[in-house]
Amino acid sequence: MSEMTSTKLDPDAHLVLEQPLLRLPHELLRKNLKSAQRQIESTNKGITSSLASDPKKPADALASLDATLAKAQNLKRKLEALHSEEKQLHRQQKARIDHLQSLHEVQSLADVKYDSWAHHRLDRLLVDYLLRQGYTASARQLASEKHVEDLTDVPVFEECGRIEQSLRTGRVQEALSWCGENKQALKKTDSKLELELRLQQFIEMVREGDMGKLMEAIAHARKHLAGGTGQDVEFGLRAGGLLAHPPDTLIEPYYSMYAKDRYSHLAQSFLKTHHDLLSLPSQPLLHIALSAGLSALKTPTCHSVHAVQPSTLTGAPVCPICSTELNELARGVPYAHHTKSCMEDDSVVLPNGRVFGRERLRILNEKLGVRKGRVRDPTEGMSGDEWNWEDAVVRRVYIS
Amino acid sequence: MDGLLACHNTLEKKANLSKAVTDVQKLVEQLQSARDAVADNPDMAVLHMAKLKNPVKQSFDRIEEDLKEVNKGLNQYQKALKDKFKSSTLPTAGVGESGLLSRQAGLVDRAIGMHLLREGMFGVADTFVKEVQQSGTRGSVNCGEEMEGVELSSQQWLKDFTTEQQMTEDKYDEEEEEEEEDDEDLYTDDEDLYTGLEKPRLQERFADMYHILDALRNRHNLLPAIDWARDHSQQLESRGSNLEFELARLKFIELYTSSSSSSHSPHNDPFAGPLQALEYARTVFPTFTSRYRYETSSLLGSLAFAPALASSPYKPLFHNPSAWSDAAAAFTREYCGLLGLSEQSPLYAAVTAGGIALPVLEKVERVMAQTKGQWTSVNELPVETPLPPGYLFHSIFVCPVSKEQATDANPPVMLPCGHVIARESLEGHSKGKQRVKCPYCPQECLVRDARRVYI
Repeated sequence: MSEMTSTKLDPDAHLVLEQPLLRLPHELLRKNLKSAQRQIESTNKGITSSLASDPKKPADALASLDATLAKAQNLKRKLEALHSEEKQLHRQQKARIDHLQSLHEVQSLADVKYDSWAHHRLDRLLVDYLLRQGYTASARQLASEKHVEDLTDVPVFEECGRIEQSLRTGRVQEALSWCGENKQALKKTDSKLELELRLQQFIEMVREGDMGKLMEAIAHARKHLAGGTGQDVEFGLRAGGLLAHPPDTLIEPYYSMYAKDRYSHLAQSFLKTHHDLLSLPSQPLLHIALSAGLSALKTPTCHSVHAVQPSTLTGAPVCPICSTELNELARGVPYAHHTKSCMEDDSVVLPNGRVFGRERLRILNEKLGVRKGRVRDPTEGMSGDEWNWEDAVVRRVYIS
Repeated sequence: MDGLLACHNTLEKKANLSKAVTDVQKLVEQLQSARDAVADNPDMAVLHMAKLKNPVKQSFDRIEEDLKEVNKGLNQYQKALKDKFKSSTLPTAGVGESGLLSRQAGLVDRAIGMHLLREGMFGVADTFVKEVQQSGTRGSVNCGEEMEGVELSSQQWLKDFTTEQQMTEDKYDEEEEEEEEDDEDLYTDDEDLYTGLEKPRLQERFADMYHILDALRNRHNLLPAIDWARDHSQQLESRGSNLEFELARLKFIELYTSSSSSSHSPHNDPFAGPLQALEYARTVFPTFTSRYRYETSSLLGSLAFAPALASSPYKPLFHNPSAWSDAAAAFTREYCGLLGLSEQSPLYAAVTAGGIALPVLEKVERVMAQTKGQWTSVNELPVETPLPPGYLFHSIFVCPVSKEQATDANPPVMLPCGHVIARESLEGHSKGKQRVKCPYCPQECLVRDARRVYI
């Protein structure tokens, strides 16, 4: 029995799911720094060039200096905003480090402190799951009731969900401006998202079909779709081909280009790009933890037709897998692997074949109010058969 | 963790944008004074402008330096992060894009809904149910076709969550605007839910439970719990539960000791409490005597020691500091038990068990990926995932011959000598013969004498 159960806690191994928790604030801090860099660069360019120009009249010089000053002040305001954003992220980062650190101070899985840490983690994972499913209001409420705001990312997902939803309803503008904000990073990962969005705009223009729109579409394609090299040329070619096919065409790939479900495809592509960029896992972590847990807890007994109904209590706590909440969900997962039997000490078998620990059977029968010397199967309560203990019907089983 | 913390402190103290902000402020001041100078003395404008070029360039260089420091801090932090989390990929635990749990989102949602209720977060549960309902209608509009059947059945559980109050509101709505068909669909079988006690509305049930628990824990008021136990007396008894008696005993003790603690009673009669307790015992205990003869007589025996209880043998019974929390725990267990639910949130238990099992599974996945191996058994995890003792809920039978766990298809059988092996092992061992020797003792027996046992 001792090999099968362990209360040892190895914090580092235990944190295998927690990388994204620390990753996200870090990626956001990087993004923040990039914005600062961009602001400074553009202001630098602006100011240097206006200082370089030689004003002919003193009034011009004054105007030019005023403009420069305004630019510098504007930069300062922007940087201050970014700095306060940065402070916020630092606070989050610290809270997350502290949360993980507190696990390092727990010695054993049996410690009550572990229990409270694990509760905290569950709340976090739930908020994450709710956000990913788009249940934003629930997520927000849960995060605030459980005080895990700093450990969860409501605003990030809210923004992400807003853009995803706009794509699903056929608008690309929000997603395009997101691409604009993350241009450099997207270029680094060689993302096709922006091209796909531009292509969608093109498709919509062609769909309308009148001459003016078609001209506009061609101009749009020249501007956004023709510049690429390598694989990107594909986009220009597909756009060109589309011009020759009306919206009711059945010819591929143009049929699917006109299809309305291209938007949900775009939404998914956006989600993937967004999550990759911020090092967010593509699956909710709750799924991973839950799936592992269902398996680790599941035994062949949990879905056996002979399983004892959870409502007929035998003194043992109801197994989480047998409980209504998870029973159906756990049906498809593999059960835990065991190499040794794990039975109650001194097991005996009743005439109906059910096996119990002798002591527990005695106590349960006492609770049931069964007369001394007689015995019942406690899972059947007072409705089943009753036997004599001594009639040698209750006998020992040997299980090695 | 220390490395990360150190890097974080650097970021917070030094490597942040505060320096850049200060330097931009200096730049602003530079420009401001140059501007003022030009305004005072327009003739020197060109000169001032020229003089400004270098300092401005230096300022921007300085600001860029400031950012470089931030960047350096971030890089260090990233490195510490890498040191902390050696592997950059997360374990999958068999969860993929088309993983089981993603396909059963409805069931996951239900588990979460029930978890919220049993944790007593009724507000969040309420919001959650509403959002799931909304997304359900939204989802079936968008991606109707194939998913529809699944979606509908996976949202069935929502019915259990709506409270009576919501329902009456909805009914009111329906009267007003009768074209709202979704609502009707959701509540068509209201009637059976109302009448059938077997189909409890979970939300109400848990609200009820929290009401009783609150009385028990926080106000030390036993009455709601006792009433509930009396109403469910038969079910409790058939489960072999002592709850009803435990509560009655606690009530007896409460009455017994009440006079000594209530200072406001006009004449401080030391026997008032015991007398009340005696009266209570007379009305209530008779129903318990068949099962609890010893306990009831022991309680009544304590009356003889009334003034000097603290020095009597009954002291542990009367001075039990955890009596109330024990009662609350017992009550929770029975209440959930009657609903067929475990006392602790299964979602919590499963996620926590998952957290404990994941390091092992992660290691297996890594090794499997390296050797391009495959799990040999689809139904069973490839490795043992040890859990703390509290996470074992069933007896486990592993056949000592085949080392396989017994299942319904391959159940455990007991030979007449009392040794238990799996049926397939017995069949393999007997090789079609009638008689077989037990693999673990010298006794021989007939194969047909082996009996199926239920473990």
